[in-house]
Amino acid sequence: MSNSPHVPMIPTGQKSSWDAVINNRIFDDLNIESNAILLDVLRDSVGMLGVKRGCDLGTCGCCTVLIDGVPKLSCLTLAAETKGKQITTVEGLANGSHLHPIQKTFTECGGSQCGFCTPGFLVVISALLNENSNPNDREIKDAIEGNLCRCTGYQQIVDSVHAAAEILNSNQSVKDNTCAQVDPHPGIDRTTE
Amino acid sequence: MSKDKEIKGYRQQPGKIPFAKPGSGGREPFSKLRDLEMIPKSEGGYRAQPKGKNRHDHLLTGSTIGRRTPLVDSNWKVTGQAKYGDDIRLPNELIGRILRSPHHYARIRSIDTSEAESIKGVLAVETGQKHTDLFGVLPVTKDEHAMAVDKVRHVGDLVACVAAENESVALEALRKIKVDYEVLNPIIDMKKSLKDVEEPIHNRGKYHIGRSNVQKRVFQEFGNFESVKNPYVSSKSKWKYAGVNHGFTEPHAVVADWEPSGRLTLYTPQQVPHYVHRSLADVLKIPMHQINVHRTFVGGGFGGKSDPFPHEMCAAILARKTGRPVRITFDRDEVFYTNRGRHPSHIEMNLHADKEGRICGIETDALIDGGGFASFGHVTTYYNGVLHTAPYEIGSFHYTGARVWTNKPASGAMRGHGAVNSRCAVELGIDDICEQLEVDPITFRLANLLPPHSSTITGFRITSIGMRDCLEKVREACDWEQKFRKLPFGHGIGIGCGFFISGSGLPIHWDPNKFPHATVHLKIDMDGGVTIHTGAADIGQGSDTVVAQSVSEVLGLPIEMIRVKSRDSDTSPVDLGSYSSRVTFMNANAAISAAIKIRDELIKATADICNVEEKSLVIGDRRIYQKKDPAVGVSYLEALHKAQEERGALISSGAYRTPPMGGVHKGAAAGLAPAYSFSAYAAEVKVDAETGITEVVKVWAAHDCGRALNPLSVEGQIIGSCHMGLGQVLTEEMRYTKKGNLLNPNLLEYKIPTIHEMPEVVPIIVESNDPEGPFGAKEAGEGPLLPILPAVCNAVYDAIGIRTNELPITPDKLYKLIEKKVRSLKLDSPLNLPNPKLNYSKLQNTLEDRADNHKVRDQDRKLDPKREPYYNGTIFGKVSTIPPEEQDERWTLSVTPSEEYLANPRLAGSAWKHVEVRHMKRGDET
Ligand code: FES
Ligand code: FES
Repeated sequence: MSNSPHVPMIPTGQKSSWDAVINNRIFDDLNIESNAILLDVLRDSVGMLGVKRGCDLGTCGCCTVLIDGVPKLSCLTLAAETKGKQITTVEGLANGSHLHPIQKTFTECGGSQCGFCTPGFLVVISALLNENSNPNDREIKDAIEGNLCRCTGYQQIVDSVHAAAEILNSNQSVKDNTCAQVDPHPGIDRTTE
Repeated sequence: MSKDKEIKGYRQQPGKIPFAKPGSGGREPFSKLRDLEMIPKSEGGYRAQPKGKNRHDHLLTGSTIGRRTPLVDSNWKVTGQAKYGDDIRLPNELIGRILRSPHHYARIRSIDTSEAESIKGVLAVETGQKHTDLFGVLPVTKDEHAMAVDKVRHVGDLVACVAAENESVALEALRKIKVDYEVLNPIIDMKKSLKDVEEPIHNRGKYHIGRSNVQKRVFQEFGNFESVKNPYVSSKSKWKYAGVNHGFTEPHAVVADWEPSGRLTLYTPQQVPHYVHRSLADVLKIPMHQINVHRTFVGGGFGGKSDPFPHEMCAAILARKTGRPVRITFDRDEVFYTNRGRHPSHIEMNLHADKEGRICGIETDALIDGGGFASFGHVTTYYNGVLHTAPYEIGSFHYTGARVWTNKPASGAMRGHGAVNSRCAVELGIDDICEQLEVDPITFRLANLLPPHSSTITGFRITSIGMRDCLEKVREACDWEQKFRKLPFGHGIGIGCGFFISGSGLPIHWDPNKFPHATVHLKIDMDGGVTIHTGAADIGQGSDTVVAQSVSEVLGLPIEMIRVKSRDSDTSPVDLGSYSSRVTFMNANAAISAAIKIRDELIKATADICNVEEKSLVIGDRRIYQKKDPAVGVSYLEALHKAQEERGALISSGAYRTPPMGGVHKGAAAGLAPAYSFSAYAAEVKVDAETGITEVVKVWAAHDCGRALNPLSVEGQIIGSCHMGLGQVLTEEMRYTKKGNLLNPNLLEYKIPTIHEMPEVVPIIVESNDPEGPFGAKEAGEGPLLPILPAVCNAVYDAIGIRTNELPITPDKLYKLIEKKVRSLKLDSPLNLPNPKLNYSKLQNTLEDRADNHKVRDQDRKLDPKREPYYNGTIFGKVSTIPPEEQDERWTLSVTPSEEYLANPRLAGSAWKHVEVRHMKRGDET
């Protein structure tokens, strides 16, 4: 028995070349199996580890990414379906080191505690804010109804969305927030403000 | 420019040395106050003082304490850069997978791994045979193996593990492992576990209780039981609570890597890395110094990542065998089969009150279902009893509890550990008593509270207590007087209170007061930034932020200059971990004491530079100066560089240990804490009597956290606790069939509230300023969960007049109760059910007066430094300053049942009645 030839139990699909624009970067040298799941491709082949796997069953929303600007659960999406499309993950939200307003307000309003659900929420909300820069509570709730968060009880997430909308509507650019923590001279910056 | 304004009034002081820019090698001449430019100004803390004194008051510099502070690691999280367990990808890694038992209970006759091993791409297959050392989170109840050695004890118990080049090969290898099981009779119903059987699930040798499956029993009696014999009113209830799971979003994951040095690094999202460290050493049979436990970001813990886990052992075993890093990540169903969630429990509770509206007795019997392993169960068994002996003054307390093994995934610690279910029963009992006494439940509670600096019936030392404020604030916020018993049918409001430990007084692994509970190291080098080394595990609750805040406050620095290194056991001093709501209290206290040492050195250096007395100096925002003439002083960096002369980097170490406290009876240490948190919630609900659907509309949540070091986090914890508690009360349940099959090991059918089920929560922070807490703080992570359950249940009663006795209150269960009542009252529609009404009896006035008097008493006690002791029992006429057992010979203090009791149990507690008397007489439990 033990010498019998190796027959895989899960049929592996045929490999074919796959390309996509992920966070504005072109990936065109990937070879994936025809049954590969987008979540696996993003995490294991592309290396976008910001996309989280919470359940693999479409029940938690942690794996949400934007496909051509529309939020989709990557654990329920065949990678092959997204060939040639624009994919945005949480890593692609910031503009250089300038955070997206929702990233900044998540930090300031407590929208993120353990942070595991955060990537999913952020991409969903960024898509919402893209369409509607001043959503009301109802619209926010409808947008994030597919995302579970076990830590925050959602309230501070909703607060964050309102705060982000305010920034967007005031047309301010968000300050370089990633750098505030590491900027050697933030003090000078502040005194000249 | 503002900078110049800042410098105004700054005088050159005698003895002031020229100061060189850091890193310049000291050759560049002093340039005026360059360092004030280099260090950002802190945004300022919250200076208003809560009432009362705290030993850290003089350390406040107005830097960050009390300010809404974003988590220090938040930017990693919002940019997707935070690395959780499964995000650790090491070159050359292998994928590990675990073979789990398909049977509830079976003996393993043999395991044949040869076929699996021969598959191409499989590098190792391991079974339990070679790894027989036991481990477990509590040293007294080690009962877990890396993989099953002789028996599997529940579906999902670990049988074997494989390491392979990729996941599909690993999965295939699992299928090729042949296990020969001899299936045994499983025990699913926890009541059956009380009986003697042929083959108990575990064998604890001389500690085993008969041949039963009882893992731990507790018996406790305190107080005077005379009044209970003839109470004025009583409330009796029998509760069934379903087990619930933590439902954290990140499934367990672990990476084990044996480095070329021969040492193991284990990357794991753990709440208590130190216990994993110990367990690994036991199982792998290597000394602890050969192991580095690296805590990754933790995607939610809530108690569910606080056991050392078998899969962590498996990863290390596989990595040792293959010489390559091994990563094991769970599927969601594996998370449910690992469980360690809240114990399913049967709780019987009798509550008695006398004519004066005092709680003269609480009798509780708890039977809790521990599943296949001990986990934290030893402690849980105590917590089910002792954690409901406060905040009320009670005349007597009787508790019997038993934790049993069943062939189900193990229960363990979960947010509100052991206190949640029995608290719910107590608070409902109190409401029922108030209904019978015809008094307002908030007034009743206010008239029965223990004062600050008092002792509970079981001997716990209460220091600060903000319960009264919580109740009063909630009453006002929710407009209680206008709503309670006055809302239309189907619409109701209810109150619930909570009490929880802020750190456990007894460390799990060593004798208290010999080793500290928490140790923090600080290091400041030429750059002026402060590095904190701590072993406290940030699991998303923000412990890194709190410790950074504490240090930044003492040193008068902005939080940006503080960096926290809390991940590696190699570099972090031991901290016992994130459980028992201990981290803020203990770790921040340790951090403060370390920072004080640095502060003293800076002050001494300043005194040298300025030639003034040390005593006259204080630390403020980035400067050290004379209190009476702030112009005299130097900047932080100047002082630092002076202090570093001749010795280099400043380092200091601070530790925290609890003060000696507590009684001497067996089990006295369970529930002991250096401080306790209190909370009171009101919930408003709508119940549709025709369908049994309950909707929570709004929650007012007041929590006494001592002092909110970071109000943003405290509010986040309160709202998050509400969310988790609402899940337990309305929808969440690990559902087992009669045969023991888990029906919903996934997040689709295990219903965690989504945003649509989440009501508006109004967090109300009450600050009682604990005398021993760091800047007055106590816990805020677990206690806020307790009151939401009873608040909702009491509101359901207010809405439709029906008391539930089973959680969760799913529509089907509630409708059954509605139907029953409709039938018994011979109504034609559920909509005609009577709406509860309240007409105050005379007692209401008495209680109001007593509450007012006690309010004055409490204020006096809080502010009086020479206060006398106060023992529980005083409102029953005892002298407050003498322990009641010394005044009253009928005052019991007993942890073993008497013959008389055994012959005729006071409460028909299943846990005690059914276990044979013979076992109890032997007193044969640990
Ligand atoms: S991982 Fe895709 S929804 Fe949970
Ligand atoms: S922040 Fe932890 S799950 Fe949302």
